[in-house]
Amino acid sequence: MTEMLRTALSALVDQEASEFETRRALEALKSNPDLKARFGAYQSIGATLRGESLVPESLLTRIHAALDAPEQLVSQARPAATQSPESVNPTITFLPAREALPSRFGIFAGQLAMAASIAFAVVIGVKVVAPVEMKPPAVTSVETPEIIRFQLPVQREQVAVQTGVTAVDESPEASTPRLMSEADVRRLVSERLGQYLVRHAENSSVVGTQSVLPLARIMGRDEPIQ
Amino acid sequence: MSAVSQSDPAKDLKNDQLLVDRAKSGDRHAFDLLVLKYQSRILSLVTRILSNPSDALDVVQETFVKAYRSLESFRGESAFYTWLYRIAVNTAKNYASASAKLQLDVSMESMVGGTDHLPSFQDSGSPDQQSATDQLQAAILEAIEQLPDDLCQALTLRELEGMSYEDIAERMDCPIGTVRSRIFRARESVVNQIQAQFPGTYVS
Repeated sequence: MTEMLRTALSALVDQEASEFETRRALEALKSNPDLKARFGAYQSIGATLRGESLVPESLLTRIHAALDAPEQLVSQARPAATQSPESVNPTITFLPAREALPSRFGIFAGQLAMAASIAFAVVIGVKVVAPVEMKPPAVTSVETPEIIRFQLPVQREQVAVQTGVTAVDESPEASTPRLMSEADVRRLVSERLGQYLVRHAENSSVVGTQSVLPLARIMGRDEPIQ
Repeated sequence: MSAVSQSDPAKDLKNDQLLVDRAKSGDRHAFDLLVLKYQSRILSLVTRILSNPSDALDVVQETFVKAYRSLESFRGESAFYTWLYRIAVNTAKNYASASAKLQLDVSMESMVGGTDHLPSFQDSGSPDQQSATDQLQAAILEAIEQLPDDLCQALTLRELEGMSYEDIAERMDCPIGTVRSRIFRARESVVNQIQAQFPGTYVS
């Protein structure tokens, strides 16, 4: 190892080498591996003076081993001699920065955005879809244009109250299906639906759900709830 | 006397860019010089992010591996160290979050009783290594103190103040070639002392 080459290496450590010296030193490194050790030694003197951590000489060997191995994580390519038996098994996955776990604020913002978009879609969607859904079934309009049969075998008493018929009426006629006009049926269905929606919204607020869907359904109704 | 300038960025860029260009073309020796040049700075940086020295070494290793595999994307618009610095910080942060998640999983698993196969990430297993490093650093500092004044001054102005050879020449009122020679002789003297004290050190 000539003194001229070592002088060039010293200058290279200080970023003061000429391009010619750098190329010459690199050529010499191929045939003289001691030059690399000398370069590392010069570097470690400066690191010590600056209070930086000294790196074990084995690091370069480890880097070479990792580079020669196929795409593999360093923690997996770590030489077995430097590991305790317990630390051989686990594989540490280096997550890319963008795949890191979202923060608490991120989760909250995501929920808020989701709720807002659902509410918007419901308000707009109900306005568009509701009139179509409220049409009576085509079959009933064909059979009886003006009057439809409406049978309430289970909740007879409640219907009776609303239609003005007394609940104590147990005559054979009372058990037969009553005839209601289409307008009455619509009014009844609308009232019932409104009550269900209000009850659902109240229940949702008590249960503690953060969804605005129940309220959006009420707001989306064309007819006021009585 | 002109204002003291830190090392010339243009020259830094030129020196490093040449090494990077050679490394891109497959010259491992050129990349090795970049590793040797910046490994201490990167280790110091990573140690400030991670507490475990063993983990820090792993991250330094990972940083250089990533850097080598991404060399094609380095276009030289910034200094090589700046680019390397970003890789190191991102790698250390990812490592820290992955380790924290793993340790959380481990502690949860230990709560339900499965502890036989659990890893211990706190065992750096390197107290002897740390002691050797401390001894080496002490010997280097001692060797520097024993240097003749002119050599010691030239070396410390370069290494501690980061002055260029030109500025040191102005400060010491001597030619640049003399500065270059003094710094080289100072380093040679320290290395020779260390090799006498610790045989086998700085040998490939």
